[in-house]
Amino acid sequence: MATETDHGLGEAVAARIERRWATLSLVIVAFLVGMAAYIGIHQATMPQGRVETADPKTLHLSGEFIESNLGSEMQPDGSVTVRAIGQQYSFTPQCVVVPAETPITFRATSADVVHGFLIEGTNINTMLVPGYVTDLPVRFKAPGDHVMPCQEFCGIGHQGMWGKVKVVDKAAFRDMAAAKRRLTCVD
Amino acid sequence: MSDQPLFSLRNPWFGTSVGITAAIAVLSAIAGLIWLPLAQPNLKLAGVWDAICSAAGVPRAAVPEAGVKPDFKTSNVVMTSEMLTRVNQVSIGRGATLAQRCAICHGPQGVSDAHSPNLAGQFAAVTYKELNDFKTGARVSVVMSPFAAAMSDQDMKDVAAYYAYLPRVPSNSLDTGRPAPAVVVTGAPMRNIPPCGSCHGDIDNKAGSPWLGGQSAVYIKAQLEAFASGARRNDISQQMRNIARQMTAEEIDQVAHYYEAQP
Ligand SMILES: [Cu+2]
Repeated sequence: MATETDHGLGEAVAARIERRWATLSLVIVAFLVGMAAYIGIHQATMPQGRVETADPKTLHLSGEFIESNLGSEMQPDGSVTVRAIGQQYSFTPQCVVVPAETPITFRATSADVVHGFLIEGTNINTMLVPGYVTDLPVRFKAPGDHVMPCQEFCGIGHQGMWGKVKVVDKAAFRDMAAAKRRLTCVD
Repeated sequence: MSDQPLFSLRNPWFGTSVGITAAIAVLSAIAGLIWLPLAQPNLKLAGVWDAICSAAGVPRAAVPEAGVKPDFKTSNVVMTSEMLTRVNQVSIGRGATLAQRCAICHGPQGVSDAHSPNLAGQFAAVTYKELNDFKTGARVSVVMSPFAAAMSDQDMKDVAAYYAYLPRVPSNSLDTGRPAPAVVVTGAPMRNIPPCGSCHGDIDNKAGSPWLGGQSAVYIKAQLEAFASGARRNDISQQMRNIARQMTAEEIDQVAHYYEAQP
């Protein structure tokens, strides 16, 4: 039979174990929250900061996704905004031109079904969902050419849906932007 | 010990664990809804409340920016895959009367040898869209523009319904044994060319893409060249210009003759 002292001792041991496990799980929770915050801030993953809507049926009638407004725009602060749409079965503009070493914002949406938006050789990989605007801050390190295949099955012609991204020298881009307000590299 | 209630504030274990859980929830909410959004300068948030709303995913309409306006007319047709797919006998009847003036070029049965498009059996949405684009000036033709200018929206729907109702008639160059060129069967993926049939009806139909079988090769070739050069720009958001621009002159010639020989 256990005495009073034995009972008190058992309780103390249980309490100590309980505390250690609780501390361990707290550390795990804190680590996971911290990790999510870190990769978000350093853009290892790029969660979108806000939800914006755009009617896929009327993109060509008004708003920022009309044909003449698509392409790369030099902003007064030196950053660049690229507007594009995905549709069965091409991206418009078909060839996107951007400067290297410059903050760039991609704004894109779909005119019909869900399309993928992936730029090879970078960690840019997201979706174009009809009804919503995809807004992505990116930066290209060096000039070069990248392919931009649609990576989300979007219909029977999906495998033919490929765009191109041309990263050019900063100065070269500035010269191009002086001549034209919306730039593309479509030949 | 066992007679002490478990869920009671007097139980220190209960009080501490609830307190810690609540603290984690509050801190995570502050981090996720306020601190992290405000740490992203490109979001241009207006304040704490804006940060909370945008992080929580409250949708808002994209800013209707003025941007760069087109210096040419673009198509203003709102295409949907259900558009004009319901058969309407009254509309077909009215369309038959209206279509008499189209017969000189498009044939009394919607088929002709005049290198103008054969309309018999064409998707109603296609005929309607092209008429509408001729009327607004998004597509220009010396012959068609004045005809379309005089038509009401209902007239265009009726004519489209009538031609969709007529049976397709194969052209004189019908040759179903003709081998399909590679660009028709597989497209050219690396050049952004999907198989033609993924939009034009042989495999699937994208709203607004015409049926090509039996069309005049001269006509198909002329249109592809016009899309490629940008002389024709009424395809919504460049959907056909993107493809035609990538096709070689040889491919254009091949598809034109292939589709002319199809039913
Ligand atoms: Cu796609």
